[in-house]
Amino acid sequence: MLSSAFKNLGLSLALSLVLGACINLKHVGELSKTSIEGIEKYETLPQSFTQICTEDCEQRSISDFKIHNTACDCEQNIKADSITRVIYETTRDYFYGLVDISDNKLTGYQTADLNTALATGDFGPVKLNEADVNAYSKVSTLLLRAFTDGYRRKKVKEYVSQGHEPLKVMIHFLEMNLSGNLNGKLEVQKSTVKNFYFDFVMNKKLSPYERTKFAEDYFRRISEISRKQKELDAFSTILQEIEGGHEILYQNINNLEDKEVKGKLARLGRKLKNAIAALSKSK
Amino acid sequence: MANLTSEQVRQLAGDLLRMTNALGDYRYENFELLSEEENMRIKELHNQQLEHVTELYTKSAVLVIDDVENSLGEIAIITQQTLDLYKKLTNVQKILDRATAVLTLAAAVISIDTGKITSSIKDLVA
Repeated sequence: MLSSAFKNLGLSLALSLVLGACINLKHVGELSKTSIEGIEKYETLPQSFTQICTEDCEQRSISDFKIHNTACDCEQNIKADSITRVIYETTRDYFYGLVDISDNKLTGYQTADLNTALATGDFGPVKLNEADVNAYSKVSTLLLRAFTDGYRRKKVKEYVSQGHEPLKVMIHFLEMNLSGNLNGKLEVQKSTVKNFYFDFVMNKKLSPYERTKFAEDYFRRISEISRKQKELDAFSTILQEIEGGHEILYQNINNLEDKEVKGKLARLGRKLKNAIAALSKSK
Repeated sequence: MANLTSEQVRQLAGDLLRMTNALGDYRYENFELLSEEENMRIKELHNQQLEHVTELYTKSAVLVIDDVENSLGEIAIITQQTLDLYKKLTNVQKILDRATAVLTLAAAVISIDTGKITSSIKDLVA
């Protein structure tokens, strides 16, 4: 009777110690998942270097009244798209890695078979009752979690610390290629379109109806290009929020359990969600 | 071009675009004063300049690879290490499963049940 009471006490003590050792990195995982959702908006962007090159080439053919032998050399633009995609994919994969190591599922090991083996096994003179088997099994699972949680926490810390600087570089150049270079090409496109339409709109040999139609076409095209630029801007905001989120993670890597840090990460997650929604609205 | 960074080329493209647009604005504002020939010549020049500017933006985007090369490598290594870690943690489950199988075999041996021993060995080999 006494030994059973001691056993129960020991078991409860072990359980409370182990439960205390377990950590919850759910908020890190959630911010990473939202970051992935945000960065994957790249796939929905309406424009690419190659596409602008093709459109510019078509515009040249239209200006020259030419529809034959209109092949375009867009090789450099294809290269620019590949480079931008590599940066995007590497940044995205980094966050997938962060989700992997901060995910609780990793340490939710299946011990049902072990329970059965212990419960049904006839170990010679040793007989285990079902209640003991379940209790031991719970402790062993929690011990395993405590061990892997400690490992996980260490790995998350290493991952975020080592990844922070290169990630900043990647986000900076991804943003530069999209908001700087791709957006710049769209700005050039606006000027080219104006240069093309201006003479038709000003041409007094054309009827007022024709001139009005040209002016309408001009404004329609400018508004279409502006819409694409707005989407690039919205994506740029997403990238800045992602970078901000990672900065908070990096600055507080030793206090991830802190309530204030959890609150900050949750707020950033909401801001990021808003930025993602804004991009969807601008379509 | 090899000595310029992607950032510098992008800035150059921006400056050149402003200059180019100034030429365009000159034509739009003086359209009535310019001869047809002058208009056409400026229009053509403006177009050619715009083509150069858009090419510069593409060049800047291509040059980015030089700036991100190291970071690309670092991030890729860190991510790969994590994937390996994931595999390692998944292996804990395998070890757990194997330990369970061994335990079942041990129980079968203790009970001297040949049928159980045979099925346990089969499970272990599987």
